[in-house]
Amino acid sequence: MLRCFPKSMRLGGGLNIALALAIAMSFTLPSSNTLADEAGPVEAIKVDAKKAALGKRLFFDKRLSGDSSQSCATCHIPEKGFSDGLALSKAYPGSEGFRNTPTLINTALKASWFHDGRLGTNLNDVTRESLTEDYVMNMDMRIMQERIKQDPVYIQMFKDAGWSEPSNGSVRNAIPEYLKTLTSRGSPFDKGTMSAAAKRGSKVFQANNCASCHSGNRFTDDKPHNTAVPDNPDIWSDPLRHHTYVAFGMFMGIENIFNIRRDVGADVRSHKVDGTDVGKFMTPTLRELKYTAPYMHNGTIKTLADVVAFYNNGGGNDANKDKAMKPLGMSVADQADLVAYLESLSGDPLTSAEHVWKDKIPANYTAIADWLNTPN
Amino acid sequence: MTTFKTKTTTIGLAIGVAMATLAGPVRADINAPLAALGPPPIPSDNKQTPEKIELGKMLFFDTRLSGDASVACSTCHEPKQGWGFSGDISRGYPGTVHWRNSQTIVNSAYYGKLFWAGSAKSLEAQAPSAAKGGVAGNLEDDIGTARLAFIPEYRKRFKAVFGDEYPRLNNAWRAIASFERSMVQRDTPFDKYMNGDKTALSEEAVRGKGLFEGKANCIECHNGALFSDQKFYNLGVPRAERWLDDGLAQITFRFENYAKGVTQKMYREVKDDAGYYFRTKLDQDKGKFRTPSLRYTLYTAPYMHNGTFFDLQEVVEFYNAGGGENEFSASKTKLIKPLGLSEGEIADLVAFLESLSGDEIKVDTPKLPPYAALPNPVK
Ligand code: HEC
Ligand code: HEC
Ligand code: HEC
Ligand code: HEC
Repeated sequence: MLRCFPKSMRLGGGLNIALALAIAMSFTLPSSNTLADEAGPVEAIKVDAKKAALGKRLFFDKRLSGDSSQSCATCHIPEKGFSDGLALSKAYPGSEGFRNTPTLINTALKASWFHDGRLGTNLNDVTRESLTEDYVMNMDMRIMQERIKQDPVYIQMFKDAGWSEPSNGSVRNAIPEYLKTLTSRGSPFDKGTMSAAAKRGSKVFQANNCASCHSGNRFTDDKPHNTAVPDNPDIWSDPLRHHTYVAFGMFMGIENIFNIRRDVGADVRSHKVDGTDVGKFMTPTLRELKYTAPYMHNGTIKTLADVVAFYNNGGGNDANKDKAMKPLGMSVADQADLVAYLESLSGDPLTSAEHVWKDKIPANYTAIADWLNTPN
Repeated sequence: MTTFKTKTTTIGLAIGVAMATLAGPVRADINAPLAALGPPPIPSDNKQTPEKIELGKMLFFDTRLSGDASVACSTCHEPKQGWGFSGDISRGYPGTVHWRNSQTIVNSAYYGKLFWAGSAKSLEAQAPSAAKGGVAGNLEDDIGTARLAFIPEYRKRFKAVFGDEYPRLNNAWRAIASFERSMVQRDTPFDKYMNGDKTALSEEAVRGKGLFEGKANCIECHNGALFSDQKFYNLGVPRAERWLDDGLAQITFRFENYAKGVTQKMYREVKDDAGYYFRTKLDQDKGKFRTPSLRYTLYTAPYMHNGTFFDLQEVVEFYNAGGGENEFSASKTKLIKPLGLSEGEIADLVAFLESLSGDEIKVDTPKLPPYAALPNPVK
């Protein structure tokens, strides 16, 4: 099933096993039965400031992609809650994406990543995957390492962070350290400054069992469910998107990939024979929704009002739809209150220098002077 | 791999024997005499057909076989640049520069080992490593396969040529190899001369041929119909200047050494391209490169693995001085010695070298078929 060979080659040896493990790993998810009314602020994570600062610069540096055309922040835009405002994301040049870019705020607290939850190890692996995946950054990490070594600012920053010199491994530690700094804060919900509508919405949220899936401080059970979100036809009508899905599917071992016309979702984790995992997607956090429209794994729902209407209709149509998805009969007023509540879960934008690298990052490289007498 | 066999002429053989004696006991073989070029060897499992060659030609010009869909084989093997690239060091994948001179693909069909350091065993094996290398095509198999499936014209052609339901990437490389095998030149003035047309070479060129086979001893390595013994030598070609003052080139230099798995010590200290050493990891092979064919070189300047010399005159002067010096002088070949050629002799030798190229090979750039959505599967 896994064709790890070409990708692992670009990691500079020995890592193909790790990659196979990372993808095939069984998923032990924290069972969070916490109810939403117990939900509180997301606690900030302790970080190594030097490593996080380094990770921040790397996150915004376009030279970390194969053709130096895009950085992590090309798709994870701070002003948009570290998502991108598109229904379906961009991809590496030459391709287009087939999923909606998720927020990265609070991502460090997850146990498995991506809309299908296919990576269940750690952010180090997610970072590696994002860097090397051919439709994301398509970076040969051996070239990346040498690019970084060519930048005196990085040389110093890696030293300051306690790494004698830049390496693939330290990049894959520094970026997650930065991601750990992206924690929700200052939402009306956390500060106790919710509007009356939002307070009423909180009750609507409880009454309609939203919390059975959207539970805990981040409002997610971190599990996959089938809510029957409609397919996004743009994936299949645009060869640049569809081919990306095919490439992804071949790598993930999706059978009969050329005849598939829907995103199979979490099925890539289990490949269950009865197909009951097809169409399941990870419950997303409900924090920072103000910044992250459009919604769902494929961006098919444009506004929070539309999302609420979607739930009010009992979700979409699918044979394997979750039993919890039933028409809810919410009044128009209930729906408006629910939207107000959802909005109250969004906090301060993380757009200051604390979270965003503001200095100019050079696009080019200066030559090492006296190259002949300087050890490589 | 079939090796190309040349006709032997008595004179060639005699010189070969003489040279072999000169070189001492290490060289058991005899220099293959110069000869007209025959047809290239065709592997039995990848026969030439017009349809396959045409498909290979399209793919050779198709940028979609690179990571960001911006570079084709033809980007670095430009028909107008001798089917190579005119810079000393080749351009690279966007955001990178290569670290070697781009070789012509003309007559690449005759080599048993491809690349300057001979690291690929066949054209079928060479193409994917070019398409996938981080400083060349930076393509991955899955995206490459997926893209081809969305080009209806390719689906049709791969089906017709290979019977593929959906184009298989391996077959793309086979088609490209077939196209390359069609890119041979066998009607140079030299070939005509060898085939009996004694007017095909100028008097200078004929004198140059004599020097080539005699006093200048080029035939020691550039022998046979291909003008290459396909062996590896360090001539002491000086290092590429680019590395001294170009940050991007310095990055690739370290990347190549890192990717080729040299020792930590060597990674830190080395300041030149160790060539064949990367394949054998023997010190004696440092700085060695495969003897290139001298055919078609009229169009492929600059010369040598790093494009150090800008015209053939410079190359001959380099040999006349007994080659050069580089970091790996311990492995420099003993076969290169100062030649004591006069200016007239140098001109003759250059004239002969020029007679090894015929007309410039031009092709019509193929029209590339567009992407289209996949038809819905029949339920
Ligand atoms: C071309 C756009 C793009 C770029 C560039 C990009 N990402 Fe993403 N990212 C996405 C998309 C789309 C997803 C969801 C993918 C999926 O579900 O299959 C995602 C998912 C993630 C996730 C998982 C989030 C979650 O909640 O599961 C993390 C973490 C992440 N990206 C980090 C990064 C980092 C770090 C970089 C830079 C090294 C990066 N991304 C570069 C588009 C991008
Ligand atoms: C059965 C579990 C389940 C229940 C119950 C549920 N959700 Fe969801 N929710 C999900 C899943 C899974 C997704 C992601 C679906 C997808 O991407 O296709 C989601 C997505 C969302 C999103 C979009 C978030 C984003 O970033 O794209 C919102 C908003 C949302 N749910 C709100 C609610 C509300 C409000 C309720 C109650 C009316 C509710 N959910 C009930 C599982 C559930
Ligand atoms: C970015 C530039 C670049 C691209 C793209 C590129 N090449 Fe090359 N090619 C080179 C360079 C440089 C060399 C010599 C490299 C070496 O020896 O390490 C080379 C060598 C070769 C050779 C060896 C010739 C010989 O004499 O041994 C062949 C054949 C070849 N390339 C074919 C291709 C094909 C087919 C493609 C497309 C799939 C391709 N190249 C794409 C730059 C490129
Ligand atoms: C000992 C073997 C040897 C001998 C003798 C030799 N060559 Fe070479 N020649 C090579 C090798 C090996 C290279 C490539 C070296 C490199 O790139 O570092 C080469 C490169 C060349 C090139 C550049 C071709 C290109 O495509 O870049 C020319 C031209 C050339 N030789 C001509 C000659 C001439 C003329 C003579 C006689 C004066 C001669 N050679 C003698 C081995 C030899």
